[in-house]
Amino acid sequence: MVPSSTKSVVFHKLPVGVSVGGPCKMSFFGFGQSADVNIVLDGQENRRTAEIKTEDGKREKYYLYFDGETVSGSVNIALKKKGSKLEHQGIKIEFIGQIELYYDRGNHHEFTSLVKELVRPGELTHDVSLNFEFSQVEKPYESYTGANVRLRYFLRVTIVKRLSDVVKEQDIVVHTLSQYPELNSSIKMEVGIEDCLHIEFEYNKSKYHLKDVIVGKIYFLLVRIKIKHMELQVIKRETTGTGPNTFNENETIAKYEIMDGAPVRGESIPIRLFLSGYELTPTMKDINKKFSVRYYLNLVLVDEEERRYFKQQEITIFRRADKVRKNYQAALSHHNPSLLSDGGGSGKSQYQNTEEENSKEKDGEAVNNDEGGKGVI
Amino acid sequence: MPTTPQLSPQEEQEKLLEEALNVVKTQAFQMKRCLDKGRLMDGLKHASTMLGELRTSLLSPKSYYECYMAISDELRHLEMYLVDEFQKGRKVADLYELVQYAGNIVPRLYLLITVGTVYIKSNELSRKDILKDLVEMCRGVQHPLRGLFLRNYLLQCTKNVLPDAVEDQSTESSGGESGTVMDSVDFIQLNFAEMNKLWVRMQHQGHSRDRERRENERRELRILVGTNLVRLSQLECIDIEKFKQSVLPGVLEQVVNCKDAIAQEYLMECVIQVFPDDFHLQSLSSFLRACAELHPNVNVKNIIIALIDRLASFAQNEEGSGIPSEIQLFDIFSQQISQVIQNRPDMPPEDIVSLQVALINLALKCYPDKVDYVDKVLETTEDIFNRLNLDHVEHGSPVSKELMRLMKIPVDTYNNILTVLELQHFGPLFEYFDYKGRQLMSCHIINNALENETMIPAQENVDAILNIVNCMVQDQNDQPEEPDDPEDFAEEQGLMGRFIHLLQSEDPNQQFLILNTARKHFGAGGDKRIKFTLPPIVFAAYRLAIRYKQLSDEDENWEKKCQKIFQFCHQTIGALIKAEQAEIPLRLFLQGSLVAGQIGFENSETVAYEFLSQAFSIYEDEISDSKAQLAAITLIIGTLEQMSCFGEENQQPLFTQCALAASKLLKKPDQCRGVSVSSHLFWSGFSQATDGEFHDGKRVSDCLKKGVKIANQCMDSSVQVQLFVEVLNHYIFFFEKGCEQISVQVLNQIISKIRELLPNLESNEETEQINKHFKNTLEHLQLKLDNAESAEQYAGLVL
Repeated sequence: MVPSSTKSVVFHKLPVGVSVGGPCKMSFFGFGQSADVNIVLDGQENRRTAEIKTEDGKREKYYLYFDGETVSGSVNIALKKKGSKLEHQGIKIEFIGQIELYYDRGNHHEFTSLVKELVRPGELTHDVSLNFEFSQVEKPYESYTGANVRLRYFLRVTIVKRLSDVVKEQDIVVHTLSQYPELNSSIKMEVGIEDCLHIEFEYNKSKYHLKDVIVGKIYFLLVRIKIKHMELQVIKRETTGTGPNTFNENETIAKYEIMDGAPVRGESIPIRLFLSGYELTPTMKDINKKFSVRYYLNLVLVDEEERRYFKQQEITIFRRADKVRKNYQAALSHHNPSLLSDGGGSGKSQYQNTEEENSKEKDGEAVNNDEGGKGVI
Repeated sequence: MPTTPQLSPQEEQEKLLEEALNVVKTQAFQMKRCLDKGRLMDGLKHASTMLGELRTSLLSPKSYYECYMAISDELRHLEMYLVDEFQKGRKVADLYELVQYAGNIVPRLYLLITVGTVYIKSNELSRKDILKDLVEMCRGVQHPLRGLFLRNYLLQCTKNVLPDAVEDQSTESSGGESGTVMDSVDFIQLNFAEMNKLWVRMQHQGHSRDRERRENERRELRILVGTNLVRLSQLECIDIEKFKQSVLPGVLEQVVNCKDAIAQEYLMECVIQVFPDDFHLQSLSSFLRACAELHPNVNVKNIIIALIDRLASFAQNEEGSGIPSEIQLFDIFSQQISQVIQNRPDMPPEDIVSLQVALINLALKCYPDKVDYVDKVLETTEDIFNRLNLDHVEHGSPVSKELMRLMKIPVDTYNNILTVLELQHFGPLFEYFDYKGRQLMSCHIINNALENETMIPAQENVDAILNIVNCMVQDQNDQPEEPDDPEDFAEEQGLMGRFIHLLQSEDPNQQFLILNTARKHFGAGGDKRIKFTLPPIVFAAYRLAIRYKQLSDEDENWEKKCQKIFQFCHQTIGALIKAEQAEIPLRLFLQGSLVAGQIGFENSETVAYEFLSQAFSIYEDEISDSKAQLAAITLIIGTLEQMSCFGEENQQPLFTQCALAASKLLKKPDQCRGVSVSSHLFWSGFSQATDGEFHDGKRVSDCLKKGVKIANQCMDSSVQVQLFVEVLNHYIFFFEKGCEQISVQVLNQIISKIRELLPNLESNEETEQINKHFKNTLEHLQLKLDNAESAEQYAGLVL
């Protein structure tokens, strides 16, 4: 039932220098002592996992951590050749949070980097299991894989050797939880094109959690165009870089028809859009001055000549702690945003008529139009 | 690709529909297969694809309907499957949410409705919320055709699950609310309002040149909207109070506010038909008020008439219950109808009158005793005509037809002209017809009186009726110059003649007044009419005289009254004479003379003599045709022969005059017959001297001899023989009576004479008849001869 609106923006790029979650890297030479390194996290059998996309669009599951949670466990090192020793310049484990910009492969921006020395330089003569603990470690951001940027957390065990280190990385997923916002006013707005179309719309909140439901109403104050249908889109905009090097990547996450046919004056059309079926992330603003992910609700009206009229409104998406699942009543969560009762405090803005003949809306254009549209308001 | 030949629009539709149905079939098959395998999500996906066919804008309403029907059939499968799964306890969590991810609204809402229904069926306590949600969410489809069908699907699915209880059945612990009947009302009314809006909106879409087609399409779809009202009427917990307070006002508000003629006409009709009569009775005013506010193009007349007809038959069918006395049905209708008329200055007068027709029907059916209600309707109609300055209702026009319908109703219902006369405004309203209309109506009224034998017992009644049907009594100012077809005219006046016999009072004095009044009216009817109308009056007067005689013990003035009656008759017959009538006055005089003679009041001999002498003078002065003369004299003789009131001095001149007149007829055969007939005067005429019949054999014989003599002088042998046979019969008559002057020899003589002449006649039809007559006569004689009793008297007869 989920519409295939989640466009996977595919970037084919070379893999990074480390394999993610794969087996330990082999030494260049087939001889000499080597070891399998394995990281076992404390309580991992009970720990929840979460999926995250890899760069090439595959989904992988990792253990899930939250901000301030201690990350602890043990590193198991198994020597490959029994009876032979392994010399090393020390064994350490790092907890790293980093941002990778795809267009700047060389530079990974680490915003968190903690190191624990596990073993002083020496030699290993048998398999060992080494405990580690990063206590109450700060994880300020959410794991994220986007079109142009990735934010990831991982543990890295390094057995420092003369020629080539034995390195083992283990990704984890971090979710940032938000409190339910205290101030969560609805979005109300009256927009229109003079003598042509005037509508008032309302979304019940400005901030939605990931499993939330957008409830709203469109009230038609004046209709002089022949509307064919109306849809609500959820657009994700990922911004990377700064200044002149800013890149915007838009993705239409959801495309949801909310009206079929032409309404007349006085008609009010309900909106109810369940977010949980779509792949969303929390809104991220200016993450480590490297990137942002923002969400917009785009209300689009298409007339019989395929002209499109739209209005974008930014919404904030946040993650809240999972609760026990609701029953059917949530599914018909029907609340009446008191649309017209208080006359709508927000300012008037005008619709932009994009005169776009092509019914398929292209992501890039929508952005541009949106920018232009704001100018008209 | 080769270009396909241009398809006609109909073929185009068929093709599109076929394609759509194919998709439906395929997807439905896939859906069912997935469901059978327990793959619900895949099943739903196929259902959604199938429902995608209902997103089309290409199908005509008819084809769309077929597609819809096919799909809703298949959806029933899905619904049954889900209900089954739910009952097995395999709850599909969040199904209600799940189906809402469908990106397109039409399939999404169909699925939502289907799943919603399943939820309600499996857990009734949720239904209040779900119903509310479904009906609200459907707002998303604003396309009229698609929206109408979607909402119809909603109605179909929820048909059996609407709450229909006064109190909410759910307990607090169960969480949800199962709802009350009022929730159902709200649900249906909202759905109704939305459907009606969509339906009305269709009217305003597309080109104005397609208007007719669009209106037809709308009519095809109307039942979808009407189903809402049917659903409302099926809720059992709606009582009169709820109907009055919530149901009807809500419906009417929608109907009135939509300002669309097609919708209003149909929906008002629906309201009348689907809800029970006793509900209507209790909410009449609001319904009728709404009628007054309908669009000018709405044929509001039909709506009101439908309601009236329904209530009127309700009042008649339901013995006992009937119309509750506290409901002033007539007053309410009367008031509201006049409001409707006032609100619609453009309403054609015939429609106004039809409303009055309905009203009068109502009055007559519900309040058969209340003549004033009927009169009120007539008064209102008259007022309206006045206001419209409509003083001449042309025959054949729609108004005239309606008005005629209106005015025939009391006539045909009461079947009593006297009751009709109680209607003060019947007469005045009658005057609005033109000549032809008045004539037809008058005939109708008179026929009604005749069929029902309604006696008119008072002078005032006579006056009133004859004023109403005046166009049959007298010439009219507005009658056409061309006279009526003589046969039609005779028929019409014949009716009036018959009608006069209905003017009867128990009281003879009243009867006299009645006749005077009738005489006054009919006397002014002109020469052509009075020959039909005055004779019945004269006869009625004679009858009255005879009644006075019968009542002579009670009324000491009866003789004077009789005298007066005969004066009245004399004068009336005089009027006929003035109109150059002869035969009728002659006969009336003779009849009068006879009656006067029979009654025998003081002076009756004088009256009888006067009447007879009047008859004579008509005979002498006015009748010139020989056949008529013979007939007249025969009548006079017959009359005279019957009368016994004359003394010698009056009788003899009359007798003599008769015989003389007979012998002075111009033609020999006439003379012969006249003289032969006059012979009877001297036999069976009344003699005061003997206080019995004259039996003057000599004069009888003289007359007959004279007859034979005249017959002998006849040139035409055929006529001659005929006359001999006739005279022979006269002879035989007197012979049998015992007249001594007539012997068997005389009979033998004539018989042999006839025998002698008969063979010489040319054989033709006439001869045949004469022969037959003669043969019959001889057979009669033969019988007498053969009869032992009479054989002796006939001895010597030669046959």
